[in-house]
Amino acid sequence: MSLYGTASGGRSSNYEYVIARVRSRRGSLFDDDDYRKLVRMGTSEIARFMEETEYETEMNALGARYSGSDLVEYALNRNLAKHFDDLLRWSEGALYDYVARYLRKFDAWNVKTVIRGLYAGAESADVEDDLIRAGEFSETRIDQLLAASSIEEVVESLDDTIFGDSLAEAYEVYEAQDVLVPLENAVDRAFYETLLDGLPSNPERDSPTGLYIQFLRTEVDFRNLRNALRLARSGADTDPAEYYIDGGKLFDEQSLAQLATNVDGLVTAVRESTYGSDLDSALSDLEDAGSLVEFERALDAALLEYADTLSNRYPLSVCPVLSYVLAKEREVDNIRAIARGREAGLAPEEIEQELVIL
Amino acid sequence: MIDTIAPLVGTVLQESSPAITGPGAAALAVGLAALGSGYAERGIGSAAVGAIAEDDSLFGQGLILTVLPETLVILALVVVFVV
Repeated sequence: MSLYGTASGGRSSNYEYVIARVRSRRGSLFDDDDYRKLVRMGTSEIARFMEETEYETEMNALGARYSGSDLVEYALNRNLAKHFDDLLRWSEGALYDYVARYLRKFDAWNVKTVIRGLYAGAESADVEDDLIRAGEFSETRIDQLLAASSIEEVVESLDDTIFGDSLAEAYEVYEAQDVLVPLENAVDRAFYETLLDGLPSNPERDSPTGLYIQFLRTEVDFRNLRNALRLARSGADTDPAEYYIDGGKLFDEQSLAQLATNVDGLVTAVRESTYGSDLDSALSDLEDAGSLVEFERALDAALLEYADTLSNRYPLSVCPVLSYVLAKEREVDNIRAIARGREAGLAPEEIEQELVIL
Repeated sequence: MIDTIAPLVGTVLQESSPAITGPGAAALAVGLAALGSGYAERGIGSAAVGAIAEDDSLFGQGLILTVLPETLVILALVVVFVV
């Protein structure tokens, strides 16, 4: 019975329960109208608007300590963490494994934040506010990370996690050169490598696992594409292979290395790939205006749309959960962009261009 | 051993009464139908509880959808009266 496939824990997955809850939450995210209202508000109005929605608890908890767009941002982070923790709490069996794999993204984010904080000598209270406690790390592990007084301690305390080996390797490079890039790269690569690790490499198309793998491959492809475009654009003399993430189906290491040196070749390669039709208008924009920001936003929108398609094609799978995770992340990004944009005095039209709305 | 089986097989296969009588088969039919609707309600029920946890007003709809497969058992009960 593949539908209720069991994980190593032996418990069967409870897709029905989780998906009913997730769909309901997906439906209550902000819609176009809310965004249209939000971009015309001042920072304090945005805060008041948010107090009357979903974000009430977080806004009240943090309201005494922060104000303005800081308040909005920290409330968003906390709310995001609360919702994603719920996902992990609900799901059982194989479903838990699938969700946790994806949410480790936030573990990676937290590790990077802690390392950056230590490097810059920031107060641990400040670092704590920037963490998003949504990943698989337990509270005690996060407290342990926050209490660490040097980067070496952080690397040691992560010894038994997926980041352990690659961080230990990168730490030597860091000690020799005193730059953070190798450490941050090590964290990202460890995340993306475990993302596809241990999943069947050639699953049935249209089985839940198959769709899940398809989605993860798309994500890896888009990440590679983004890196390649940034490298091509900046003209930096870096070896693109260093940033290549394994597991996608669009590029292999060599073709990426060749294409990263010329933008036109890259655009043609993407247009001829399976993503061509989804990204067509975005690619034309990129060729005409050469705006990388807009193209990256189009990538986000395409990924979100793809996740939605998958979740409709196979309702009893992990796909609706992923589509919710992505949509929630976009909402948080959008509100943050609005709050920061309004604070910086941007016009509503300018901010609207920055939002990813489907 | 074989001595005892042979007359038994003879009774089952050759005597006029079948292994499962009419009422017995009807009971089996109802039982299997109940098993089927129980399995169907498992999925619907957990989805309904999930939906109710998010929104209390869905309680009525959740309840109705959850017990819909129960009709299978009621239809199977008809068999009991036919036999």
